[in-house]
Amino acid sequence: MQTLKGVSIYSVIFSKATPLFYKGHSWPKAIFRDALKVLMGLLMLVWISVGQVSIVGAGALLQDLENALMCKCDDKCGKVLMNCTCSTADKTRANFSKMLESGLTVEQIIKMQVDEYGETVLSAPTKFGFNLTAWLTPFVALVAGGFGVRKVLLACVGKKSDSTEIPVPEPEISEKYSKRLKDELDGIEL
Amino acid sequence: MNDIGEFTLLLALATALYGCVAYVMSARGNRIDLYLSADKTPIIVWACVVISSICLWKAFLTDDFSLQYVWAYSNRELDTFYKISSFWGGQKGSLLFWTLLLSTYMLVVYFQNRKKNLRVVPYAMAIMLLIVVFFLFLINFSTNPFERIPLPPEDGRGLNPLLQNYWMVIHPPTLYLGYVGFTVPFAFAVAALISKDLDDGWIRMTRKWTLLSWFFLCMGNLFGASWAYVELGWGGYWAWDPVENAAFMPLLVATAYLHSVMIQEKKDMMKVWNMSLVLLTFAMTIFGTFITRSGLIQSVHTFDEATLGYYFLAFLFVIIFACAALIIARLPLLKSANELDSFLSRESSFLFNNLVLLGIAFATFWGTIFPIISEAVRGVKITVGPPFYNQVNVPIGLALLALIGIGPVIAWRRATFSNLKKNFLKPVSAGIVAAVVLFPVIPLGNRTEIYTYITFVLCVFVLTSMFTEFYKGTVSRMGLHDESAVGALATMTWRNKRRYGGYIVHMGVVLIFAGIAGSQAYGTHTEKHLQIGESFEIRGYTITYEKLIAVEATNVKTRIIAQLAVERDGKRYWTGHPEKEFYKGQNQPVSEVDVLSTWKEDLYMILADFREDESATIKVYVNPMVSWLWTGGWIIAFGSMISMWPDRLEQRRRLERVRRQEQLFPSPAQE
Repeated sequence: MQTLKGVSIYSVIFSKATPLFYKGHSWPKAIFRDALKVLMGLLMLVWISVGQVSIVGAGALLQDLENALMCKCDDKCGKVLMNCTCSTADKTRANFSKMLESGLTVEQIIKMQVDEYGETVLSAPTKFGFNLTAWLTPFVALVAGGFGVRKVLLACVGKKSDSTEIPVPEPEISEKYSKRLKDELDGIEL
Repeated sequence: MNDIGEFTLLLALATALYGCVAYVMSARGNRIDLYLSADKTPIIVWACVVISSICLWKAFLTDDFSLQYVWAYSNRELDTFYKISSFWGGQKGSLLFWTLLLSTYMLVVYFQNRKKNLRVVPYAMAIMLLIVVFFLFLINFSTNPFERIPLPPEDGRGLNPLLQNYWMVIHPPTLYLGYVGFTVPFAFAVAALISKDLDDGWIRMTRKWTLLSWFFLCMGNLFGASWAYVELGWGGYWAWDPVENAAFMPLLVATAYLHSVMIQEKKDMMKVWNMSLVLLTFAMTIFGTFITRSGLIQSVHTFDEATLGYYFLAFLFVIIFACAALIIARLPLLKSANELDSFLSRESSFLFNNLVLLGIAFATFWGTIFPIISEAVRGVKITVGPPFYNQVNVPIGLALLALIGIGPVIAWRRATFSNLKKNFLKPVSAGIVAAVVLFPVIPLGNRTEIYTYITFVLCVFVLTSMFTEFYKGTVSRMGLHDESAVGALATMTWRNKRRYGGYIVHMGVVLIFAGIAGSQAYGTHTEKHLQIGESFEIRGYTITYEKLIAVEATNVKTRIIAQLAVERDGKRYWTGHPEKEFYKGQNQPVSEVDVLSTWKEDLYMILADFREDESATIKVYVNPMVSWLWTGGWIIAFGSMISMWPDRLEQRRRLERVRRQEQLFPSPAQE
């Protein structure tokens, strides 16, 4: 355990009062548990994204190229090559077919295109450097939103138990009737 | 006539400006004289905009090329049908069309609410007039559709051939009806914030408007997809183009709002959240307009003369900051004293539904603006296209699909283990059966196929949960009222229009999910260069190229049509006629595809190229389950109609509730 002037970082971080949403739990443990969940979620999402890259790069097929590259016609149509029907797109496809037949791989052709036109020719951001933020931010936002929803739920559902209510004596209902009431209430759509 | 059109636009601007100021002053100063004066302005503004629009339509129909806008988007040969739609074919006319719809909506709101809530309605009218002022300002001083050409040419340039399609006549107005419609809930929300009248009155006043706008936006998106499918000739229907995204984002946020608002209606909670969602939906519609008209982002949809971006950006910032400030100022009034009864409740599932919907909206927004961010940060312009959206949005979309099935099955307030077990038993069992049955049938070779498999299983789960809801209600009604099954189903749906209409909408959404999954995973295509009489095979279809026909359709249009015989099991099944259309003065020909659509799959044919020796390049796609997508759309339309239908029983129940409350808490006058 790292210490700072004899005080553990643990105690510095967790010295404040227990937040509302960790009431009733051993909250440092709960934080670590949640952090672990977030980490696992992020790892899974990265895996999903990286997995896709390997699929795209695996097969030397024209379709992969058409999916990975944009059409570079004079009209600046802004379409993925796969979706473009202009004459430039047709010529590019024919050119790519020849390149594939000559033994070039999909990755090599993509690299040649990037060298010629820049990154803008790629139909999706690369998965390294700054561009990685494009892929991760939506999932990070989703996870953060999930925590927000959890916090709202814990805060809203917990209210009742925190409030001081005047105790009302419960009417005596026989077990038979309370079970019947419970069953009927379960079946009712409010 | 053009002078009248121009003059009425100026008059509309002046009147709207006056009305806006007068409404606010009358509400703040409690001045009835100003209110009565302001109360005539929505009618005058609407009349002026209508006259101006009629003038522009007349200019199109009479080929008045002295107007630069008519010259740029029409010509003498253009069909009358498309001359009418040319009105919104370019930026200037589309802004006038937007204003026409907005002033018409405003007029309806005016007649609906003028004698209702005099604390909120004047502010709401002022907000709507303010938005009209913004658009009229742009039309009058920046992009005037009545701009003249000193020496009028003999003929016009003509409408972009891609826009000469019936879907393109329907798609933009439908989308605009949705976009513009969200102005109404936005105006009432802001009015409620200003007037501090923050009960759910503004929600009730605008509920139908929100549903109507949502319906139009949804249909607008689907019509746009139909147009892309039959007109762009690439075999697909959605390209994650920035402008498509711009229409998709408000739809997602509005869907989140339509769900979370139910929590406010039932529990008087989530006021800040609902307010924020309404404001965000409107902001998204303005963001969409900004994208289309800024020229900042490349898109097939952007207007040629996209120069208005900065006006819309400034407007967007003003809206966001003003609304955020208002919400912060009213936070104490927006706090709710109520609480959720349980974690396991429909309310909670709606919160997760909101999270997922906003997650997809954010991912789409992020992808749309990331090229700008990348350019600003790294100085490198990049493209964010379909592979990004498909990878990011598909897993989140699957979570949404699961929630569609879970939400209606969980009880409001508190779900117990026993009712969860009871309600989930059939849908989960059906899902498991589907998973087992589909496993050996469906190929699971790559991630797309795995996603598709999960989608189909979830579709079965959701549909079963929906049908179970209908079944339970019908059986219960049959037992209580001695009705036939059909009668009980119809009466039950009619008496709970909102609930069962919503379920029908969900069923439509399920079909759309299934259609997208099927068409993305199992489609195939091939391209062949053929001489007359040659054939090829694709998925059991034998396609024979029979002949090439040239037709001089009009003075400006030539059609080259390929005739293709389609055989199946040795018998002639269908004859396809894909074609290319050549328009005078246009560089690129336009592909007109021919589609044989069945419940199982679409046979989609394109004439890609042809040569002088009459040989032709034919591209054929087999797209499975695309018709499910369109069917899902019509089911959504049907469900929306049911949900939106006026409900007298609900109105009566509400009146009775108000009366009961009045008896419980009599006003000082009654006391």
